Amino acid sequence: MTDDEAPVVRLVDLTKVFGAVRGVRDVNLEVTAGQTFGFLGPNGAGKSTTIRLMMGLYLPTAGRAELFGLDAQRHGPQLRRRVGYLPGELALHPRLTGREILDRTARMRGQVDKAFRAHLERRFAAELDRPVRTLSKGNRQKIGLIQAFMHDPELLVLDEPTSGLDPLLQKEFADLLEESVARGRTVFLSSHDLDEVQRLAHQVAIIREGRLVASDTIEGLRRRAPRTVELTFRTPVDAAVFAALPGVEVTSHGALRLGCRVSGDVGALFEAAVPYGIVDVSARAANLDELFLSFYATTEEVGADVR
Amino acid sequence: MSVEVARLDLRLRRRSSLFYALGVGAYALLIVVLYPSFKDDTSLNGFTTSNPKLAALFGAAGSLTSPDGWMNANLYANFVPLFALLMTIGYGAAAIAGQDEEGTLGGVASLPITRRRLLLEKIAALAVLSLPVPVVSLVAALVGRGFDIELGAGALTQITISSALMAFDLGLLALAVGAWTGSRGTALGVAVAAAGVGYVISSLAPVIDWVHAIRYASPIYWGVGGNQLHDGADTAGFILLVLAAAAVAVLAWAGFRRLDIH
Repeated sequence: MTDDEAPVVRLVDLTKVFGAVRGVRDVNLEVTAGQTFGFLGPNGAGKSTTIRLMMGLYLPTAGRAELFGLDAQRHGPQLRRRVGYLPGELALHPRLTGREILDRTARMRGQVDKAFRAHLERRFAAELDRPVRTLSKGNRQKIGLIQAFMHDPELLVLDEPTSGLDPLLQKEFADLLEESVARGRTVFLSSHDLDEVQRLAHQVAIIREGRLVASDTIEGLRRRAPRTVELTFRTPVDAAVFAALPGVEVTSHGALRLGCRVSGDVGALFEAAVPYGIVDVSARAANLDELFLSFYATTEEVGADVR
Repeated sequence: MSVEVARLDLRLRRRSSLFYALGVGAYALLIVVLYPSFKDDTSLNGFTTSNPKLAALFGAAGSLTSPDGWMNANLYANFVPLFALLMTIGYGAAAIAGQDEEGTLGGVASLPITRRRLLLEKIAALAVLSLPVPVVSLVAALVGRGFDIELGAGALTQITISSALMAFDLGLLALAVGAWTGSRGTALGVAVAAAGVGYVISSLAPVIDWVHAIRYASPIYWGVGGNQLHDGADTAGFILLVLAAAAVAVLAWAGFRRLDIH
């Protein structure tokens, strides 16, 4: 029995230890139905480990992963019926053709709508009649995507889904994802492509060295991220005055000019600047790259406050 | 009931298994066809009487000119185990550990299939792959009736089953080690070591007393070492083969249920 009120994904103190350094520790997050959840992090941060724990492929060292309110370990087969999964390192049997792989997957699942599968094959213009070993990475990725989507699952777990796809196909993938979400499907999207996540995700979590360091909406993260402020003054300034302000990091300065990164409220910065006579000011919100890097530069952890 | 996982693994080995079986069949037929040329060559028996220990290492013991002695020395005591084990240990090491290293096992394990079912289908595929070499050898032995090799149907059936079971057991050992370690190399190493030691014990059991005392430590002996073609069924060996299969299957399950699949 599943709990229809439960989040589609709930990770509770999820921990997988491979050694002193590798693995994920105390990961807590929830994904509600009908949203695209972006899971960001650089290579080796623990994204794929978290996903394999969700899919019941790894046994957790501690904590648990729940899908649709049920434990992913104890109810794996029942839950995986409702999940479409694209692994980060897609491995297909090289001697089989794409069609053979999809046919076999469909028979193992026993729940594939043939018309929808045919629609996906046409949409991605997949090469289905050549052995996989002769296909480019992008063409293999298409087969992986069709495999993940072809039973129109309630939850899509996609690990680096656009890897190897050209821009046109990335657009096709994004459209398909949005259509799926519009039909009430939920997407857990792991990526290190910030632009992709920014375009597609409603909610984002960032993982670094196996621990969650942030979880919020894109807008929420952007608000928390530092802005770049450039000031020009009428009289010479003392940069040390500004460097001592909370949340202010001076990045460049001259006699009449100051560049800085400001996290949080900018009031204190301007109060300190007014006595020098402000001639000009420019402020720019952090782009997602800077935002991302800012979370990777900090040691702050938010394992407990993102539940 | 769908056995799609087993069918997939067998499909991946279909062509190689077919040509392999044809190659083994060609060798077995050659041995059969050559028998009339050697059956009256009594000097051949000097090989086993003058240096029985050396001859035993090559799988030859007793008379080489009798039909059962000829078939034992050239087929059942050495080449049938070797050829069958190449197939089953190769698959056993690949079925879980090898496919996990390639990344393809995760693709199947992320489908709505229980791990128990996945393992049972792998074991079923292994059982199928245990058959080609013993069956092809059986066919060659039956063809041998046209070449003065008169062997009883019961003895042939028994050694066919026991050699298939022996190959299955050692393939299952490779599968179980792979399920515990996730390492194809380790799985191959352990199973090949067990087969190698088993072969030496089985071969030398007729000529060295202390090896004879431990002959039942060898799965090769259970399968083909009891001189089944001459003496008939080795019931103890057969029972050991079945019990070992059950025990190793349980061992494989204990490893596979906790294996981290990539």
